[in-house]
Amino acid sequence: MPIHLRLLVANLEAMAVFVAVFYVLSRTQAFQPVPSERPLRTWLLRWAFFSAISMLGSHLGVTLPGGVIANTRAVGAVAAGFVGGPWLGLAVGLTAGAHRLTLGGYTALAGAIATTMEGVVSGLVHVWLARRSGPGRLPDWRLAAGVTALTETVHMGIVVAVSRPLADAIQVVQVIGPSMILANATGAALFALVMRDRQRLREQVAAESSARALRVAGRTLRLLARGFGPATAPELARIIREESGAGAVAITDVSTVLAFDGLGQDHHLAGGPIVSPYSRRALERGEVVFADGEHEHFTCPIDAACPLDAVLVSPLELDGKVIGSVQLYEPRHRRFRSVNRSLGEGLASLLSAQLLAARYEEAKGLLTVQELKLVQAQVNPHFLFNSLNTIAAVLRNDAPRARELILHLAAFFRKNLKRPAEVATLREELEHVNAYLEIEKARFADRLTVETEIDEALLSLRLPAFTLQPLVENAFKHGLAGLLGPGTARIRARREGALALLEIEDSAGAYTGAGDAEGLGLKSVDTRIKNLIGPEYGVAVSCIPGSLTRVTVRLPFAEARA
Amino acid sequence: MIRALLVDDEVHAREELAALLRETGAVEVVESCADAVAAIPALRRVRPDVLFLDVQMPAINGFELLALLDPDELPPVVFVTAHDAFAVKAFEANAVDYLLKPVEPERLARTVARLRQGQARPPPASLAPAIRRIPCQGARSIRLVDLDEVEAVRSSEAGVYVVTASGEHFTDLTLRVLEERAGFLRVHKQHLVNVERVVELVFGDEEGSTVRTRSGHSVPVSRRFLPLLRQRLGIS
Repeated sequence: MPIHLRLLVANLEAMAVFVAVFYVLSRTQAFQPVPSERPLRTWLLRWAFFSAISMLGSHLGVTLPGGVIANTRAVGAVAAGFVGGPWLGLAVGLTAGAHRLTLGGYTALAGAIATTMEGVVSGLVHVWLARRSGPGRLPDWRLAAGVTALTETVHMGIVVAVSRPLADAIQVVQVIGPSMILANATGAALFALVMRDRQRLREQVAAESSARALRVAGRTLRLLARGFGPATAPELARIIREESGAGAVAITDVSTVLAFDGLGQDHHLAGGPIVSPYSRRALERGEVVFADGEHEHFTCPIDAACPLDAVLVSPLELDGKVIGSVQLYEPRHRRFRSVNRSLGEGLASLLSAQLLAARYEEAKGLLTVQELKLVQAQVNPHFLFNSLNTIAAVLRNDAPRARELILHLAAFFRKNLKRPAEVATLREELEHVNAYLEIEKARFADRLTVETEIDEALLSLRLPAFTLQPLVENAFKHGLAGLLGPGTARIRARREGALALLEIEDSAGAYTGAGDAEGLGLKSVDTRIKNLIGPEYGVAVSCIPGSLTRVTVRLPFAEARA
Repeated sequence: MIRALLVDDEVHAREELAALLRETGAVEVVESCADAVAAIPALRRVRPDVLFLDVQMPAINGFELLALLDPDELPPVVFVTAHDAFAVKAFEANAVDYLLKPVEPERLARTVARLRQGQARPPPASLAPAIRRIPCQGARSIRLVDLDEVEAVRSSEAGVYVVTASGEHFTDLTLRVLEERAGFLRVHKQHLVNVERVVELVFGDEEGSTVRTRSGHSVPVSRRFLPLLRQRLGIS
């Protein structure tokens, strides 16, 4: 076998070992290109791993006369740079370079310099990709191979420049150059493929579980409006099992099983007490409990022959109290799908939010007329379903954006569920409004502009909760929603002497007077301010028909310092 | 393939429904409109087999759009709504197909099956409310003209024009719709008049008679429509 081919085969063999090891390790958190919860530990782990690969690259290389090593050291440093940036690349390059120096030979110094340079260069590629396409981007296999082939070529240049005697250096580069460039580039390409593959898998799981959660949410909303209990639980369990495909689904309250659907329903009977320690733990502590069926097994306390082996218990909460749980089961020899794991965890909070909405519907009858008006403004099903529809559409192309929108929707509803009697800061009111605006901007992306101008000194201003939100919602519902063309909403908070002025403007100019629904909404905000703060404060409206409606809220600024 | 026109004011809602329809493999979305005003000429141009119509839209809602359309131009309609208890009641009472947003693919499949079997009919006229305003195209704007501003309506080869004291406005509505739904009186093959706004009836000779409106606009009256006009004006 000619020397070139022999070297190439040896180098590729070493590479195969690295890629196999990396394939296994790439499942762990440390090798995901995302910010870690424990950055130092992750960094050290990565440094140790890639340095080990790089040093092993030196050892598994083929030693030629004069201590020259045809090797695959570059790949460890390059992969470190791609995953962790220039500092990690530098650290791994220095480590592997220092190690190379200890092995001796007249090309040792050139090799050490080159490996360090390669770590840094791939780290810069990491930075460039992050700037261009957002954090966590990995190079595709072509880019990885290209960068590595290039830096390995430079490596050969360094050997010629640094190693003496020159004639030997040139000769050695001719022998080892082609195989090292080819093998390291191939290795970098394989690393990139493995990493991208992992990344894609995680994104798919995330997108699929959000899509399922949304489907469940859509189907359960009307059901849960009838309340949570033995009457609605069987249907709820059936819906969740259909959507998740889990082996079995149980719904419990704090002490009894309300419904059980799926495998083992012959002995897991509705009405029975909760006996599983997992369920107890979840209900007592209000946290998600997971027995994966591999390390931790669910053991059926009722029937030893029960096929169920893995369980995920998510607590359902209402007003901060655990009121029950949703449980997903899988039988022995069936993997608990990671999609279902994140679905189960997210589902409980979604259902909890729906229960709260249902509770409010119920409570409506008990509230005073004025509070009633506010609550009606709050739970606007038209807004909710249109938002869910928008999210469903966005999910098709842009899962991260859809996730953002779900978080905004969650933030909006969470804020909506506060008691109207509370006092809030302007900062809280603006957070509420922003969550709402983000959704509206997504819904009307093509024709809505929102401008805000807030004097930061006013952020701690105290005002009745639900002052700003209904006014902004009014501007949309009664103003911008009627426009055929593009519209603009402006929200301003500014000081004027001892006054704090909040202004909400829309470019529709559709305000028709105090008598209609819009007028009633304004009146109720005005009354609350006058009652809580004083008769000299409140809400005023001015309108230029067809071009501008401005609602101004006058509040005392002294409150900000209180 | 069933050719569909979508009307919804939210871009993502249009995209989502179009994607779901595409997935059925039986429906081709030939055009999408962001509001009811744009839908009127689009319907005339593309002649779809079915109209997917959002209910809550700016200026003119889905029901109002029905009132503005010529019965001859109206295909079967599938209403799409996020949440509107009143609308759903109306759909059920009139056996009109409707979808709730977000749309479930299984539910949409039933709608498509119904369309394929040719069971879908255009919605009954009873669903359409009375016309309140007439959408008119300006150079760069849409103007909604109140009915009592209108003095007369004329049609020419260029189209239909609504005549008001302040000028003439082009509209995509047909004379027939304005006659039947807006209550204007036909006085000529190409002219309607708002009887409330007529101040003078001038009897002519061979060329026929004319009426003059409050702002001085003159409208020809053909012989065959004269008796009805006289009756409406209380001139015997």
